[in-house]
Amino acid sequence: MTQNADHVLDHFDLFRGPEYQEMLANKRKMFENQRDPAEVERIREWVKTPEYQELNFKREALTINPAKACQPLGAVFVAVGFEKTIPFVHGSQGCVAYYRSHFSRHFKEPTSCVSSSMTEDAAVFGGLNNMIDGLANTYNMYKPEMIAVSTTCMAEVIGDDLNAFIKTSKEKGSVPEDFNVTFAHTPAFVGSHITGYDNAMKGVISHFWDGKAGTVEKLERVPNNSINFLGGFDGYVVGNLREIKRIFGLFGIDYTILGDQSDVWDTPTDGEFRMYDGGTTLEQAANAIHAKATISMQEYCTEKTLPLIKDHGQEVVAFNHPVSVKATDNFLMTISRLTGVEIPEELAKERGRLVDAIADSSAHIHGKKFAIYGDPDLCYGLAEFLLELGAEPTTVLATNGSKTWEKKMQALFDSSPFGKNCKVYPQKDLWHMRSLLFTEPVDFLIGNTYGKYLERDTGTPLIRIGFPIFDRHHKHRYPVWGYQGGLNVLVQILDKIFDTIDATTNIPSKTDYSFDIIR
Amino acid sequence: MTSLSATIKDVFNEPSCAKNATKSEAEKKKGCTKQLQPGGAAGGCAFDGAKIALQPFTDVAHLVHGPIACEGNSWDNRGAASSGSSLWRTSFTTDINETDVIFGGEKRLFKACKEIIEKYDPPAIFVYQTCVPAMIGDDIVAVCKAASAKFNKPVIPVNAPGFVGPKNLGNKLAGEALLDHVIGTVEPEYTTPYDINIIGEFNLSGELWQVKPLLDELGIRILSCISGDGRYNEVASAHRARASMMVCSKAMINVARKMEERYGIPFFEGSFYGIEDSSDSLREIARLLILRGAPEELMERVENVIAREEARAWAAIAAYKPRFKGKKVLLITGGVKSWSVVAALQEAGLELAGTSVKKSTREDKERIKELMGQDAHMIEDMTPREMYKMLKDARADIMLSGGRSQFVALKATMPWLDINQERHHAYMGYVGMVKLMAEIDRTLYNPVWEQVRQPAPWDRPGDSWQDRALAEIAEEEAEIAADPVRAEAARRAEKICLCKNVDLGAIEDAIREFGLTTVEGVKEKTNAAAGCGACAIKIEEIFEASDIVGLPTDAQTIAAE
Repeated sequence: MTQNADHVLDHFDLFRGPEYQEMLANKRKMFENQRDPAEVERIREWVKTPEYQELNFKREALTINPAKACQPLGAVFVAVGFEKTIPFVHGSQGCVAYYRSHFSRHFKEPTSCVSSSMTEDAAVFGGLNNMIDGLANTYNMYKPEMIAVSTTCMAEVIGDDLNAFIKTSKEKGSVPEDFNVTFAHTPAFVGSHITGYDNAMKGVISHFWDGKAGTVEKLERVPNNSINFLGGFDGYVVGNLREIKRIFGLFGIDYTILGDQSDVWDTPTDGEFRMYDGGTTLEQAANAIHAKATISMQEYCTEKTLPLIKDHGQEVVAFNHPVSVKATDNFLMTISRLTGVEIPEELAKERGRLVDAIADSSAHIHGKKFAIYGDPDLCYGLAEFLLELGAEPTTVLATNGSKTWEKKMQALFDSSPFGKNCKVYPQKDLWHMRSLLFTEPVDFLIGNTYGKYLERDTGTPLIRIGFPIFDRHHKHRYPVWGYQGGLNVLVQILDKIFDTIDATTNIPSKTDYSFDIIR
Repeated sequence: MTSLSATIKDVFNEPSCAKNATKSEAEKKKGCTKQLQPGGAAGGCAFDGAKIALQPFTDVAHLVHGPIACEGNSWDNRGAASSGSSLWRTSFTTDINETDVIFGGEKRLFKACKEIIEKYDPPAIFVYQTCVPAMIGDDIVAVCKAASAKFNKPVIPVNAPGFVGPKNLGNKLAGEALLDHVIGTVEPEYTTPYDINIIGEFNLSGELWQVKPLLDELGIRILSCISGDGRYNEVASAHRARASMMVCSKAMINVARKMEERYGIPFFEGSFYGIEDSSDSLREIARLLILRGAPEELMERVENVIAREEARAWAAIAAYKPRFKGKKVLLITGGVKSWSVVAALQEAGLELAGTSVKKSTREDKERIKELMGQDAHMIEDMTPREMYKMLKDARADIMLSGGRSQFVALKATMPWLDINQERHHAYMGYVGMVKLMAEIDRTLYNPVWEQVRQPAPWDRPGDSWQDRALAEIAEEEAEIAADPVRAEAARRAEKICLCKNVDLGAIEDAIREFGLTTVEGVKEKTNAAAGCGACAIKIEEIFEASDIVGLPTDAQTIAAE
């Protein structure tokens, strides 16, 4: 045996031992109805061809390796961004376990979230009792100041009416009458996690602004000069929101971040467990109605929220995940225009530094081809940045990208000579991407952790930008917004480019004449 | 065994060095002691010069005898390329400590040699002396000799401790080490009438490999290259070559000249930068080989290759014409001869907004005038401010320069392409010039420059710091122009000699006061041109340009104020 009690191997090494190798080989031979290896190889090569791609793109029913998640994930994301608020997902508990693990694996932090744990009888008779018991238990066990309810498919299929259920629960004394319970219907069979973000955010805002589901008077807007900020669903929320606060601080303006997850997903290890930390206070959420304007960093995360805010008389401005110098310029100039405060010198300097860094390194990025996948706004922001760097975002794919997004991407390509050969793929999955990487090869792939399979299969080096990032740690601490964020993205791209050059020039006495110290 | 000071003196007397030839007897005695100016931003030391000259020998263990500073900061810092061993990139140092400084580091050095041989068994070890062991009296020559004898392996002392002088001196001392200990110690397996040495070529970014196929095709063998992609045994047998090419850098002129003296190997100074230069160099190689007995038909074959390669290269370069139409280039070069690149740039349809002539000779300048016309904008020294102004006035779309100007260029929002040593592309030979055009094209059309040149969009037109800086310059210039006293003072304040900090006014005064007529005279009276000597040309131009001797006395009065 290669392993014994005095010498315990981890799985990297253990199953490479002869006894396991033999066992696995026998299993293949005897039980797995092994195919002719030549035939396997033929198919492997065939799926790289345009012929296969054509078949692949004819797929109608099957989605393979989707680059999106479900609505409630976005709703949970919103909920934890408010002070002492617990996300309550009405539906089956398995879903909720997914959201918690998904976030915890990405942020390396616990994510508190409860479920109404619907079972078979609830599916038959409706989930009202689960709601009544669930809200009561949540209120008593976790002492929240607010509960943000969203739904899983199960509740949606049977048509549970959240508004009515919550009302009934309050009547039954689950929670005090004036306790804040917001809600949003978030079926997974509609849209994706960005839709869920939108619905949940809209739910919170309309709760506070529009009379708390008819229980109190609607708020009267008394316009002031402050700005509301919506980040959208964002895997870099910890770094990004801290950067945004710093930027607003430099402007010296009044602002409200609606949904601030930066503390709860980055709690210190100091001996105290914080189930809740930071977040937008409920008072702030209510007072946000008086703001002069609301800025959304991700248009496609706030398609319903912004119109609601606009209806209350505010100016609303949406960006598409600004990363490029130009996009950040627009962002800052918008703040400046809205507030009448000039752009601080410190930020002007940071702009110059980013331009300087780009100029120092752009020769290495210029002309390189990239495939990008992810959420629509992130794709847009990264493609815009790449065009600015003289790279070609040849393939841009969003499983949750809409027709309007497609048009917007195409317009972006048309605006730059580097966009000439670029194509946008809405409603496509990572198996489509796999075909594209074979038939229209690129130099680098930008995507989330799941891109590692594409990297392995197609040999396209993966730059991990997106959500989720499970297999690299702490990326979420570094902003990708503001000039500082642009710099971080630039560095990440460069790191991979240089790593790739090193990896392809490291064979001693063969290719290592270019294995240089100075790049 | 010559002492270090004798070697240095010998190097200073190098008769093939054009600069030495112009020196007076007294100065020669003083040598090239370009006294480093305390407080000035200094270049590399002699050790660094020696190390970078020899480091491209790939199969040799390069052992630096000294504290960590010397090797720690210089490890693998040049982009020379190797087709074989990578031992040259392994960092070997004795890393001496306090105890060694007190008791001497010779034993440690000897042991280090032993350990290298045990572990790596390279064909040779080069041992580099540095300041500290030199000061405490470590005799590396003796240690190397003992180690060579004991281990039966060439252990070569490279005696160029940093304090003896600047980088260029180190280059030459490295050459001396090769001459004293390496060249002529091994016989080649066979010789041909087509064997040449290439001296002073370092195969940066593998650029020599762009020329080598042509030589291979012609049957010309590079018996040894000093030192790019070099092997110890090749350079040790370099004395059997029929001819040498001294690559334009004068770094190792002593090697070429002494090999001619000792082994009768003729040499020429040439370059593979630029199309014409490449052709001239190939012709010159053939001429020398034929002179040494190679068949006459070689020249015909060379001409055929030249005709073919030139046609190809010019055609490829001409293809860039439509894209380069109306684009202007500012060419600021040190090592690469400006005019050799100018021709290629013009062929590609680029306009020259100006070129530097800082290190160019008078002939170079004439050549540039020929190519660019009489109103050629020749730049002696350009301040970042001038550079910036030139760009702003749309007189240049791109600057080609060495890495040193890179950051100035970028800060001045100037598109920039590296054409000196630390670049990552090989510009040598015919294909090299085409590659240069491709890189210029990439740079010109890189969208980042648009970004770089544009002020932040919130800056009001006319109110960015750049606009303010330009306005200040304009204002200053206008003020000076309006005031004859200040105008004259500004004219006189132009720095002529940067080494010794001598301005035009001081030189003019000296010329008048002492009735000077020669550069020598000016040097004696003002100390100008007593440093690197590069400003001698400028001083000559002062003689030519001015009727200074007859300056009216009132101008002298102004000057005196």
